[in-house]
Amino acid sequence: MRSLAPLFASLFALMAVGRAAVAQEFYIPVLVPVTGFLSLEGTSQRNGALLALKTAPATLSVRADVIDTGTSPEAAVTALERAVGQGGAVAVGASMLGTQMLAMMPLAEEYKVPLVTVSGTAAITEKGNPWVFRFFPGDAVTKQAHARYVVEEMGRRRPAVIYQTTAYGQSGHAHLKELLTGLGASPVYEEGVDPTVKDMLPVITKALAAKPDVLVLHLHSGPTALFVRQAASLGVSLPVVAGSAMHQPSTAALLQPAELKGVCAETAASPVSGGSPGLDAFTADYRAQFNADPDAFALGQYDGTRMVLAALAQGARDAEGVRRYLSRATYEGLAMTYRSDGKGNMAHSATVVCYDGESRTPKPVKRYDNLAGVVK
Amino acid sequence: MTLLQLLVNGMALGAAYALVALGFVLVLNATGAVNFAHGDLVMAGGLLAVALADRLPVPGIVLLPAVLALMAGLGLVVSLAAYLPLHRRPPVAVFISTIAVGIILQNGAAVLFGPEPRAAPPLFAGGVIEVAGLVLARQSLAVVAVAALLIAGQQALFHGTQLGRRLRATAQDPEMARALGIPVTRMILLTFALGSAFAGAAGLLLANQFFVTPTEGGNLILKAYIAVTIGGWGSVPGAVVGALLIALFEVGVSSAVSYPVAAGLLYATLLALLVWRPQGLFGEAARRRA
Repeated sequence: MRSLAPLFASLFALMAVGRAAVAQEFYIPVLVPVTGFLSLEGTSQRNGALLALKTAPATLSVRADVIDTGTSPEAAVTALERAVGQGGAVAVGASMLGTQMLAMMPLAEEYKVPLVTVSGTAAITEKGNPWVFRFFPGDAVTKQAHARYVVEEMGRRRPAVIYQTTAYGQSGHAHLKELLTGLGASPVYEEGVDPTVKDMLPVITKALAAKPDVLVLHLHSGPTALFVRQAASLGVSLPVVAGSAMHQPSTAALLQPAELKGVCAETAASPVSGGSPGLDAFTADYRAQFNADPDAFALGQYDGTRMVLAALAQGARDAEGVRRYLSRATYEGLAMTYRSDGKGNMAHSATVVCYDGESRTPKPVKRYDNLAGVVK
Repeated sequence: MTLLQLLVNGMALGAAYALVALGFVLVLNATGAVNFAHGDLVMAGGLLAVALADRLPVPGIVLLPAVLALMAGLGLVVSLAAYLPLHRRPPVAVFISTIAVGIILQNGAAVLFGPEPRAAPPLFAGGVIEVAGLVLARQSLAVVAVAALLIAGQQALFHGTQLGRRLRATAQDPEMARALGIPVTRMILLTFALGSAFAGAAGLLLANQFFVTPTEGGNLILKAYIAVTIGGWGSVPGAVVGALLIALFEVGVSSAVSYPVAAGLLYATLLALLVWRPQGLFGEAARRRA
């Protein structure tokens, strides 16, 4: 009987471990701006995260809370304190607003919890913080696609660059200027436009006076639609290659298909354009769930959250385990293949899509991979 | 030719701004308090037009009476919730309550309509017409015409009817008006309704060409505030002229220099004007600036 004691003890221990494994609930809070000036993109981010969590493997028990971070860094820090202060969070779906990310990062390092974001702000992965993972290509990646498409595919050499005066716009402008110049196509006209500007006629008039052969935009959603509409109404025949805001279905919805003829845009991905059964299924699920079309931000956050779930499915049991997986693994997402470059930049691909003037759904025309030279 | 085109665009934008400023100054005169929710009421009018057009796909001009009526109702609700309970308190209480109403409207709109920009239907028809090589948006011309009609209607009401005289008397001296038997509270509620109706009309006019988002209000209240300051604090014609000047300045100057420089010049000009003529261009006896 004594000889059976260790066997029973081992059996009980195994049962206990098994029960714990089944019962362990993983907490993944989603802290994103669903109100304020970034609410359009923040809502996409939230939806992408929630859709991924909803389709988590049945073997995983996952709990999620959504907390609105608004637009202030303080609100984001408070939300993070509230969400992870109680302990147990294995990862956080974190705001795409760069200033909020920068404010949350020291706290994430203190609590040792990974932040999974689609923020494009370059600085967030330049601070040496091992807890930040960006599932959206930054300007260094997307603007390469933007500039190369203009010069290499379209053969244009006299771009007029119109950008937003916000941090987003200035960062994109700096990259575009450098890249276009490097490709032998120095901008013949550059102007920053405040997001509140209503009438684009002045900037269109001045840009045309510089005799460009292509209009390169790096504007937010509303201003992009305003510019494209006004250029179309003036009969401007120059091609327009816009930033990622143009690919958002809500931007295209503001315009008539005919106004979109000759308009292209760079983006991380264009889920509504399809391209694979997985992407089609994602778009259908998203539409059914949220009664809206998904954009690249939704897909990026979806892929990022799915990678966190993959980490848990592969055996990660805490935030450190998730961080290790995110920093070392390669993940085949719906938008692209993700792998950290050692700084938390996971996305290294971008796509250019174009509108044919007959529908509001763009068609992918050129994909650029390995732009940062990391994913080989 | 380009100059003419810029002028038409500036006039269209200015006409819509004028309606915003008109509603703002009417409430300002009647209550002596700045309604910081006014920009958000413009946004609400734009989204209301979008919502009505979703259910009833007709031109904007057909929707305009419904937008005016519903926004007047919303103005009454705002005045009952944010003004009347506080009107005997220091003015700052009303400022704060209207800011709160603005935030509620903004977040309510984000929840109901989503955060994405939306476009209301054109007043008559979209597209452009060409006149001697000049490309003019039909909507721009329609906006100028409709705004002019609404402003003329307001002037006729205020200067040609007994109700208008009571409204003006309430705005000029509420205590004296009350002493003369004018139902001042009712006049103030009516002014809120009128001001909000104008805000709604401006929202409808702006939301076709320039789109509308739930966060639009802050920029519009700033424009109204500047227009009223330029025109003369409390001056109704001044507010309209001030709004037109802002739009023409924005469009005209930004066609010569960059947008950021144009914005800087606008505020520099405003500062110079405040030094040179603090009572504004139309310099009515000013109430205390908020």
